[in-house]
Formats: sequence, C-alpha cells, structure tokens
Amino acid sequence: MNGPGADSVLLQARGVTKRFPGVVANDDITLEVHRARVHCLLGENGAGKSTLADLFYGVHEPDEGVIELRGEPIHMVSPRDAIAAGIGMVRQHFELVTPMSVLENVVIGTRGEAKVDLRAARDRLGELCDLYGVEVDLDTPVGDLAVGQQQWVEILKALYLGCEVLILDEPTAVLTPEGIERLFATLRRMASEGLTIVLITHKLHEVMEISDDVTVLRRGRVVRTSLTSEVTMADLTRMMVGRDVDLAIDVAETSRGDLVLDVSGLDVATESGRGSLKQVSLQVHEREILGIAGVSGNGQDALFDVLVGMSSADAGRILVDAKDVAELSPADRLEIGIASVPADRIHQGLMMDFRISENLILGRQRSGRYRRRGWLNQASIAQFADESVTDFEIAAPSPSHVTRVLSGGNLQKIVMARELAGQPRLLVVHQPTRGLDIGATEYVRRRLVEERDRGAAILLISEDLDELLNLSSRIAVMFDGRIVGEVDRRDATIDRIGMWMAGVSGVPGEALA
Amino acid sequence: MNTDAPTTPGASSGSLLRRSGWRLERRLAVKPWHEVVTLVGAFIIGLAICSILIAASDKSVVDSYRALFDGAFGSRRAVYETLVQATPLIFTGLAAAFAFRARVWNIGGEGQFFAGAMGAFFVSNLWHAHLPRGVMVPVLFIAAAAAGALWASIAGLLKARYDTNEIITTVMLNFIVLLILSYLLGDMWRSPDTFYFQTVTLPESAHLPLIVDGTRLHWGFGMAVAMAVVVHVLLRRTALGYEVRGVGINRTAGSYKGISVPRVTVLVMAISGALAGLAGAAEFSGIHHRLQLDISNNFGFVGIIIALIGRLHPAGVVVSAIAFGALVNGAVTMQIQTGIPAALVDVIQGLSLIFVLTGAVAVRYRLQRTHTDE
Repeated sequence: MNGPGADSVLLQARGVTKRFPGVVANDDITLEVHRARVHCLLGENGAGKSTLADLFYGVHEPDEGVIELRGEPIHMVSPRDAIAAGIGMVRQHFELVTPMSVLENVVIGTRGEAKVDLRAARDRLGELCDLYGVEVDLDTPVGDLAVGQQQWVEILKALYLGCEVLILDEPTAVLTPEGIERLFATLRRMASEGLTIVLITHKLHEVMEISDDVTVLRRGRVVRTSLTSEVTMADLTRMMVGRDVDLAIDVAETSRGDLVLDVSGLDVATESGRGSLKQVSLQVHEREILGIAGVSGNGQDALFDVLVGMSSADAGRILVDAKDVAELSPADRLEIGIASVPADRIHQGLMMDFRISENLILGRQRSGRYRRRGWLNQASIAQFADESVTDFEIAAPSPSHVTRVLSGGNLQKIVMARELAGQPRLLVVHQPTRGLDIGATEYVRRRLVEERDRGAAILLISEDLDELLNLSSRIAVMFDGRIVGEVDRRDATIDRIGMWMAGVSGVPGEALA
Repeated sequence: MNTDAPTTPGASSGSLLRRSGWRLERRLAVKPWHEVVTLVGAFIIGLAICSILIAASDKSVVDSYRALFDGAFGSRRAVYETLVQATPLIFTGLAAAFAFRARVWNIGGEGQFFAGAMGAFFVSNLWHAHLPRGVMVPVLFIAAAAAGALWASIAGLLKARYDTNEIITTVMLNFIVLLILSYLLGDMWRSPDTFYFQTVTLPESAHLPLIVDGTRLHWGFGMAVAMAVVVHVLLRRTALGYEVRGVGINRTAGSYKGISVPRVTVLVMAISGALAGLAGAAEFSGIHHRLQLDISNNFGFVGIIIALIGRLHPAGVVVSAIAFGALVNGAVTMQIQTGIPAALVDVIQGLSLIFVLTGAVAVRYRLQRTHTDE
C-alpha cells in the first residue's frame, strides 16, 4: 500500500505532552492520522496509548502542544466537544445503560432536542447497520447482550453521533477470535467507506492484520510511525521494548549460589481463561536474576500472584529452599523471606492514604520490631522511616507525610525500601520501572543488582526487554501461560526473544534448556 | 460519516477555538481546614434552607432559631440535657465510624443497641440484688458490649466467610433483635404490674451514677467521651488499628502484604457492635432503668449520620453528636415557644448530611481556568 499524502491528514497531535502526578504519560507526541485509514497505536501497558486517546477525545487536555483536526487546532474541554467535532471513541469500560434497549442507548447521547424521534432514529440506525454489516437487535435490553455485542452498541453510538474518526481502545480484549474477525472485517469496510479508525492495542498480530499505519509508543514517547506494510513483527517488537542505551547498568557477572526457588509443573487457571499458567517450571538461584519476558497478559500476573501467595496452584510445586510453600499465606511467605514488588504499586503495593512511615512497615506491623503487646512501636517505626527515606533518597517533606502526594518514582522507592528491609531470600519483582522517569528507573535497577550481589535470588518479570537484557542472568519467555524459551544472557538477542514473545516458536530443542 | 463531512453535527471547529472555561482538577491533598469549612458550611446551609420553611409558615426565623439555641444551650440545665441527648449518639456514632473506617458497612447499630440493652438488663435483673452498685454497673456494661459484639459478629462472620453483603445482613438483624425483644417483653420479661410492653424498673444498684445531681446527666456521657479517646488510640496506635485503617484504604494491597481481611472484618464488626451495645446499656442504666421498645430514638441509625458528618473521626463524632443532641433538645423549646414542629430538626439533620457529603467530594477538587490556545 502506498503512503498517504500530506493533504489527507485528518487528526494530528503536535508536540503533545501530558503529565500526571509522578508520570509523564505523553511526552512530546507528534503523530498524523490520515483520512479513511486504519491507524494502530501500539505499545506496552503504560506506554501512553490510552492517555493519547483520551487527549484526542477531550477527556484530558494536553499540558503542552496542540491537537489538530482538519488542519486546525481544536480545543476540547470534554468528550462533548470531541463528539461535536466528529471524533468518537469506544473506551475500554463501556458507558451503557444496561436496562435500556440498544436503540434507547444509542439515542440517549443525542442532545439539544426536547423529544427524540425514535422512528427516525430506528431508520437511521438500520441504515448504519446495513452499511457496515452490523448485526444487533435494536430492541434487546443492553444488559442481555454479551460483552462483545455491547461493544457493537458503543460503536453504533459513535457512528450515530456522526463521528468521522472512530477511536477504539483495546477493543479485542473482550472478543472471541471469531468476534475479532468480524470486528476487523467491519473496520475495514468502514475505512473503505471513508471513516478513519484509530485502534489501540498491544497485540502485534492485530496490528499486522488490520492496520494501514502503525505508531509505536514507548514510555510515553513516539518511537516511530510506519506503514504497516513496511515493517515486520520483529521490527515492531524491537520498537516496543526498545533499547535505552543510556539506561545500561554495568552489571558484573556473578557466580550463582544454591538453588532458592524451584517451581515445577505449575498450573493456575483463571476464570476467564486469559492469563492462566500452564506447566510452568523455573529455577532461581542465589546471586542470580531470572528475567521473565513476555507481552502482557500472557500469564505474568498469575505467576506473580501464585508466588507471593495471593492465589493457589491447581497443579505443580513451589519450593523455596527445598520447602514446599504452597500452603503458606502471603503473611507466612513474607516471614520466610519472600519479598515482592508488585506491578501496580498504587493498587497492590501501597496504601495511598497512609503516612509514608506507615507504608514502610506494611506487612511487618505485627513483627516484634514494630509491635509490643498490640501497640505499635512509634519510635522504632519512625527510626526505620528516617533510615529508609535517607537510604533510598525518597524525596518527601517528612516520613509522616501522606503517601498520596509523592511521585511514581518515590512511591516505588517506598515499596523497594520496605521489601528490601528484611534482606529477603527471594525477591519477586513485577514491572519494577513501569511509568518511572529515567532517574528513578536507573535507581531501582541499581538496587536490584545490589540485592543480587548481597545474595538474594531475584525473579524479574518485565515487559521491558532492555531491562531484562541488562539485568538478568538468564531470560525465560512467557507466551500464552507457558515458558516457551529460556536463554542465557550471553546468548540472548532481541530478535530471538522477540520471536518467542510474538508467539513464533523457535527451534524446538532450544526451549526449556 | 462521509469522507468530507460538512454535515457533522455541532458547530465548526472554529467556535471550539475560542472556548475557554473552567475545569475541575483533583487536589492532591485535602487539608484539615477544608474539612472544617465543609462541616460548618453544611450546617449553615442546612439551617439557611430550613429558615425558608420557617418563613413560609409565617414564623419569625430569628425567634425560632433563638428558641432553638436557648433550648439547647440557654441555661446550665439546657446544656446538661443536650449532653444527655448526645450520649447515645456518641456511642453509636463511634460504632458506625469505626466500622466505616474499614469500609465495613455496619448499618445494624440500632439492633446492636438493643442487643446491648438486653444484655445489660439480663445481668442486672439476675444479679442486682446480690451485687453492689460498684460491681453491678461495670458488669452490666461488659454484658452489653458482649451482647452487641456477638450480635454484630453474625454479620461479620457471614461477610468474612461467605462474602455476604453486610448492609443487608445488619439491617435484617435489626428486625430480628427487635422482634425477639418484643416477644420477651410480652412474655417472660414483662413486668407483672403493667399491661405495657415493659420490664420492671430496676433498683438503684443497677443505675449509672449521675454526674450532676438533680439532672439527668449520667456518667454514660463521660464514658462515651472516654470511648472516643479509646477508639482514636486504637486506630492510631495499635497494630489492629493499623490493619483496620489499611483494610479501609486498600484491601488489595493489604492482602498482598499479609493482612487477613476476613479476620479484620470480623473484629471490626465485633468492636463496632460492642460500641453500639454500650449505648444501649447507657440508656438503660442511665435513663430508663427498664427495657421498653422505645428506648431508642433511632440512635443506631442517627449514629450513621453522626459518623459521616464527623468524617469518621472520633473527635468529629463527639462534636457532631453534641450538635445533634443540641438540635433535638432545642427543638422541644422551639416547638413550645413558636409552634414550629420539632420534626424540622430532622430536616436540618438530613440537609446537613447531604451537604457534608457533597462538600466532602467537592473539597477534593478545585476549579481551574482552562488555558486557551489563542
């Protein structure tokens, strides 16, 4: 397919920056979306895709830069303005009134008329359905529809409101393979009828299948925009996970010690079937970092949860220092030296309305050091908080300040300070630098290496391939709940790991070395 | 829709350019003075709206509110009576606030109040002739706390074990305990010398002593204030309080770090029920000295309002309970002097709550002018 000309630019971002407390979600983004094409925004979780979409849809306003529509700057205060300008969006969480019918849900968004002409609306919706081959019964209550069907209602809503650009945020997450096929067929048809589609995804094969153009985002920045026909999946993987040369830490080789974590044949089923674990086996030794690579949603969350004791395995064994820990609660596992840094530090790792000092002892509030006969030992908590704030360079007014006001990097430092305090035997780390700025990223990585040198066994689950190549002694790759390959760092290449991550199996003999 | 979309609904993008406006931005931290302004402001708006009702019924707003104030704080006696009214509300307000801090929605304060009163009566009836007052009174309070805790624990255990919605179970348990009480009052607990549904009046050995002789102000008030301090210390200084607050802030992070959420839930329910039970004992032993079905003026339910208006803080609970006690007490005087129904006070209470809740959300945001690109 040929590249579109400059005159066909419909929607564009120019130098757009959006900051949230502690994170630069979008950093100087410049991007052109062309008329009547399918444009994918590709990136890992936290790369800034959804934020960018929200900026296009008026949910947020850019701190810097402008959004332009049809070559003119457009200033949107709310989605209402976006809809009026012809931009529609299907968000990840649907905004539907479930007891009302499909027809009612679609007309509910129309404004400015005292009385809605339902018959006219029905006719118009019928036309739209015919035009794009959408099959939905207009009189069914939305609550009775399957989730995939509800998504069609959202799409119809946007079309009915007259959108020229349709933004879809991870639309395939709720669809079956057949549903995805149907959606993609419809999207292609829409594009051929002149509609412009912006599709957000982190799945490579979807990009290859549906899009004309693809923009890869990483850490809030645009890596590159290309014609999909001119890139390969391996190229895209490389762009997604990137290579930050300036973040490389000089990691000296160490000789690994005794076996600490020994997982074998682990099965964990999840309710939806997504992200479950299938026959996972891995070993981590003292003074060793085992990296787990993989595109998100391939079982990393289940692996983390089962290791820290938040979920139980359906089959298989977890041994720590040759002792079975399957029956141990999260508290018990903490006790025997299993520390963890969760991926979502705000929801899984911290109490945002606690004081910093209180967060620093979370999980150890019952230990002898901080509790005497039920009373919290304030002096010893304060002393530990002071030490941690100094040692980990946590930038806060004081340890008794509420945690909520801190930046992402400082939040992560609190988690790290807390988890490293007990000199853990095993450290399970999930996405430790997601959303952090370069300084904090470097700091967190350095601390992990120091911990390894002290003698800890570290399991590092990350979507950042650069991080893995930089820190790990060995790298295992997860795809669809399985470890599909494992390789020593010396032999690891981005291309080889990228292939495994994309689900393209390598030489069979190589897997599970 | 079409490739060139001149028919796009809404104005041309040009009009969007000149738009400037205001946008709500989330505040990072809400400061204590924001809370105080919210509380005072909500109360004043509640009074202001009610003054419209008063004016509409051709009464003098100034006279009415003066009568209300005089009735509540106008004399030493009035103040004592205000504190009497506030006493059960402090207990039930603390009960609700403590549970709500852990995001455990105990709506059963009313039932736990009655369970407490029944526990208190049971032991008093059994032992008042054998125990001196100095022993009897502490024992009946302990029995009341235990009964309240036990009754609330049913809902706590159901939630912890089966994830049953505690709002529903606690409300149901309110009905059950009241029906049990009315059964007992009609049967074995009924006083032999009356046709009313009430027990015998117990002698002085089961009476809570008065703080000021010749008034109704009993030591239940002192105990209520002491319990506020205890609850505050429990929340801030103990490992259990730490976990209670933690479960309220973020259950997920709590479980990841080994806090047993079910265990905390049961304990929170029990402690909350014990506090509500103490209110029942205070009313029984300090005021009525017997059981009857109307010993609670909706104290359990009003306690929820008190807790929310007091922003779930023990000191806030004490202050708002006293304010509500004053309203209830002053309303009587207002009704006598001006003829305005005492029910107006319920309106003030309700309105204040609505504005406190609105304000509590509103203070998290600030208005910010949006920048324009021109």
